[in-house]
Amino acid sequence: MTIDGQYTAIGKYLPRVDGVAKVTGAAKYAADINMPRMLYCDVVRSPYPHAKILKIDTSAAEKLPGVKNVITGDYYAKRGGLYLADKNFLAHKTAKYRGEAVVAVCAETPEIAHEACKLVKIDYEELPAVLSPMDAIKPDAPLVHPELETYRVAPIFHPVPGTNISHKHFLKKGDTEAAFKKCDKIVEHEYYVPHVQHCPIETHTATVKFDQSGNLTVWASCQSPYAVRNALSDSFDIPLHKIHIISEFVGGGFGAKAGTTIEGIIIPLAQLNVGRPVKFTYTREEEFRDAYVRQGMLAKIKTGVDKTGKILAVENNFYWDGGAYNEYGVNIAKAAGFASAGPYNIDNITTNSYCLYTNHPVGGPYRGFGMCEIHFCIEQNLDVVANEIGISPIEIRRINGLRPGDKTGMGEVMKVSGYQPCLETVLDKLKYDPTPKKVSEHKIRCMGVAAGWKSPSQPTDAGSASIIRMNEDGTFYVHTSAEEIGQGSNTALTQIAAEVLNVNPNRITLKSGDTNMNPYEWQTVASRTTYCAGNAVKLAAEDLRKKIFDLAQMKFGYPARDMYLERDDEHDCTWVVASKYHRDMRVDIKTFALGMPLNDGSGIGGPAIGVGTFTLPNNMAYNAADSQSEKGVAFWTIGCTGVEIEIDTQTGHVKVLQMISCFDPGKVINTELYAAQVEGAMIQSLGTALYEAMILKDGKLMNGSFLDYKIPTAYEMPDVLESYVVEFPEETGPFGARGIGEPAMVPGAPAIANAIANALGVRFNQMPITPDMVLEAINNKKN
Amino acid sequence: MREFEYVAPKTVKEALSLLATYKEKATILAGGTDVVVRLRDEIIDPEFIIDIKHIDELNGIKFDKKEGLFVGANATMHEIQNDKNVKEFYPFYAEACGHVGSKQVRNKATSVGNLCTASPLGDSLTPMYCLDATVVIEGPKGKREVPVREFITFVRKTVLERDELVLGVKFPYVECKGIYTKNARRHEVDLSNIVATILKIGDEYRIAYGSVAPTPIRLVKTEEFLKGKKIDDKVIEEAKKILATEISPISDLRATKEYRVSVSQSILENSLKALG
Amino acid sequence: MKKINVKFTLNGEPIELEVQPNHTALRVIREQLDLTGAKEGCGAGECGACTIIVDGLAVNSCLMLAPELDGKNVLTVEGLAKDGKLTDIQQAFIDHVALQCGYCTPGFIMSTTAFLEENKKPTREEIEIALSGNLCRCTGYKRIIEAVEDVVNKRGGK
Repeated sequence: MTIDGQYTAIGKYLPRVDGVAKVTGAAKYAADINMPRMLYCDVVRSPYPHAKILKIDTSAAEKLPGVKNVITGDYYAKRGGLYLADKNFLAHKTAKYRGEAVVAVCAETPEIAHEACKLVKIDYEELPAVLSPMDAIKPDAPLVHPELETYRVAPIFHPVPGTNISHKHFLKKGDTEAAFKKCDKIVEHEYYVPHVQHCPIETHTATVKFDQSGNLTVWASCQSPYAVRNALSDSFDIPLHKIHIISEFVGGGFGAKAGTTIEGIIIPLAQLNVGRPVKFTYTREEEFRDAYVRQGMLAKIKTGVDKTGKILAVENNFYWDGGAYNEYGVNIAKAAGFASAGPYNIDNITTNSYCLYTNHPVGGPYRGFGMCEIHFCIEQNLDVVANEIGISPIEIRRINGLRPGDKTGMGEVMKVSGYQPCLETVLDKLKYDPTPKKVSEHKIRCMGVAAGWKSPSQPTDAGSASIIRMNEDGTFYVHTSAEEIGQGSNTALTQIAAEVLNVNPNRITLKSGDTNMNPYEWQTVASRTTYCAGNAVKLAAEDLRKKIFDLAQMKFGYPARDMYLERDDEHDCTWVVASKYHRDMRVDIKTFALGMPLNDGSGIGGPAIGVGTFTLPNNMAYNAADSQSEKGVAFWTIGCTGVEIEIDTQTGHVKVLQMISCFDPGKVINTELYAAQVEGAMIQSLGTALYEAMILKDGKLMNGSFLDYKIPTAYEMPDVLESYVVEFPEETGPFGARGIGEPAMVPGAPAIANAIANALGVRFNQMPITPDMVLEAINNKKN
Repeated sequence: MREFEYVAPKTVKEALSLLATYKEKATILAGGTDVVVRLRDEIIDPEFIIDIKHIDELNGIKFDKKEGLFVGANATMHEIQNDKNVKEFYPFYAEACGHVGSKQVRNKATSVGNLCTASPLGDSLTPMYCLDATVVIEGPKGKREVPVREFITFVRKTVLERDELVLGVKFPYVECKGIYTKNARRHEVDLSNIVATILKIGDEYRIAYGSVAPTPIRLVKTEEFLKGKKIDDKVIEEAKKILATEISPISDLRATKEYRVSVSQSILENSLKALG
Repeated sequence: MKKINVKFTLNGEPIELEVQPNHTALRVIREQLDLTGAKEGCGAGECGACTIIVDGLAVNSCLMLAPELDGKNVLTVEGLAKDGKLTDIQQAFIDHVALQCGYCTPGFIMSTTAFLEENKKPTREEIEIALSGNLCRCTGYKRIIEAVEDVVNKRGGK
């Protein structure tokens, strides 16, 4: 900040600091690791959704020339997991989904490993399978985890032993039962959201190597190196200081790479081959089936309003298809439970959110973390209610959308809320008009809107740390373990450090993705990075600045109180200035890089290093009995998306012509990167609304390729794809910032669904809304 | 990918001799956009890959009004879609080739490869069916020509013998107007869930559809009905009914049977209205 | 299995090496020649992350067998910038924030490089079609298209 109070880096556009590396092919990803004497892993996967493993015969595979090891689940008998220790890296005793890894092979080439897998003979006894959440919750359902009661679990989760319920989240505010009696209109609907995949273009990959002294190095494509380190330490009893995780660039995450799976599979193989790196890379087919999936979900929503459109009562039941292991999925059911009111002022709400074990692929975090799924239901039901009482979908949002002073579903008073200005901005920019328009013989155009919110779902002690070192020439290293997964954290964090130190961002190199070099970061998830890691970097920069000022006091003979830093791009330096009254009393910041010599020849200070550590200052626990809390989350990010679509009534194709969003990220750090995040999120939501679903038949994934799981291409991009911003600062955010990466995806799919419903007068309670479904509805109406 | 020997003959004669030796152990590689994926997925497991791209005789696209069009086995989708003569005299075929896969795929894939793959939804095949193209084949007993409708016998099955090589496809030259339509889940880079070419030659129509039966088909009853008729709403409605009796699409991951029938009818309607 | 000797030009330099026929061109370039700019995203020609330019045309190097490299003129993303100076396309991708995770970026840049040689005045729709064989999960494509349009304008195409 300048002495006049102007930001020099925050709220500006700084080109991505990783741009050159990424356009030249110089950026090294975990997939690019290629070392001499590397060994390759491949796995044998279960052909059954649920089966007891009776016998494994590895002898033929072991005899194949070039095969080093063939190992089974016995090597992985210790269960682990982030919140609920229910997972083995290889199936142990039973296989719980079709595709689960049962045997791991390590060989000299990928081809040999692959051939060896075919030589492994496994006898299974098929067990009855649970293939939907509604089957899973039946009292007589087969149990996916009969030993659930013995599992270690984080205290905020509540598995129900003897059932398939891995977590039941309950939220209660007010008296729903009484309030429903006062309603003029109650609508109750079921919605279904299928499993979808993240589809990072880099599939999961890891290379691990043990050296002779027992140090483990892991090159992983992961979002959270410290979480991987912790999981591997826990599962294989290796002390943390012996584990080194390297993950410099990640080829897309979106939540898929938040956990630890592929890394764990190869640890024992590397232990058996000390000194040799072992690499395992998922094929695209494996990426679809064996990486975390976005869980399927069935929602029953009951919304009651009075005749003015005021929502009086809501009752939600969410049934999450968590798949075979719910170590991470439980937290999604929790997030959905506590956020289930949506960004609305509702006095009476009851929600049950069940995370359920099924014999489906393993659920986990995906951009939005439950919010995309529940808002597909909430935001459509709101339109339905509005239509039924004869008010517009906009009016019902104006009446109920959170304003400052309103209370959330968790009972927190919103100090700020961007809901209404975001809504109005989108309506204005879209020139919103919900009337269907026939633009040619077979084309109808129409608009729709939806809103959404999201908060991080993180432990209240989730920590972040940063270290900033000044070099002798006044350039800087910023060390953090926030992971650059494409969202631009390296650039945004550079700007935060540059702002505090008032240095040109090009004098800063940001170091991340290496646990031996950089300090702790809980995880790069939850749209928490700008907020949490941003605060840590800001604190580190402030610490460094304070240390510099402490030395400068002695040099200038003036108090630190009045000092400030002045960026001088002309001289390519930053000045430490004594005070605004003594602007000529200044020295280059690099003067203090190694401390300061004193008059007697001795020195003081030493090499300049700033340290910042941050943990959530005001994120309190909530009451487990009803999820109520004065402040149960770090922050809420709120926003709105509006779309215009065109339906081809001959083919059922829906083309999105305009997609416009406005969010309240508190304070934008980087203008273009903010817009880029929102645009990318909108297209991902468009994909889920119109194209994407994992088709599971008897537990088997039928479309595990880009051939049959279609994600949007450049051609599907709307002609108008725009993002806007309103800024109501977050009290505890760095410069007022809160997270944006995930919230931006939340309202897109329901906005498209609402537009289609407005166009056709037919509502689809399931996504994706495919040409088949649309054409069928059109033809049914015609007849 | 499993191991195999790679051979790259320079002449048709050399290729035929290799085929005669290796027979079912060999797979022919042209563009490779299908073969390499099938190798990777181990759907095929040949001992020999015979790459025909070094055979100059198989290159190129030739045209004159008397002989018609000859598309060599090595002609890529990219070459065909940009060929001056194809664009002028067979624009619907140029368009068909331009709708195969992605740009990268079209730069490698060949239309003859598309034909030999014999998929019911082959994007470049319905123009061949409409024009009654002939497949020029050479084997140990010499050359033979097979009408395209007889060449493909079922899903991924053709009359090509293991020791034979397709040299190219011959299209007669006919003065006609034609419309090519592809419908897929996504506009670009997707497999057709309906693909069709409809031609008007004088007062006759030629109608070929893909993805509605185990092979691409000609809708002969619909053609017969439309012959000499003036196109109006009533005729179109009747033609759509006949069309529905001639196609037998299935429901699969990509579309339902009902969807395919409905879209097929719309394509017919649009094409007839446009062709007049 | 017989290894095959291939000679080709890679980023302007002559290369001669032995390859396994059952390896793809992508694998040879990444693992034998250590140029890891081209990425494998699907191995089936569906995502375009492996796009390289062969004899002037963009192709999926995952669908090209290693022996097919013989006699070809091959360009990868590493061969674009000369003496540390980025091409106008590379620079435009940075200027327009046309990348996020960056994994698909080399493929997009190679597709764009070949396409703009072939069509110097493309419409927006032509650009979208030309690039639809390259999947990007991060950007939503808008900025990629804008970057390409910017290059076209600056080259005087419009």
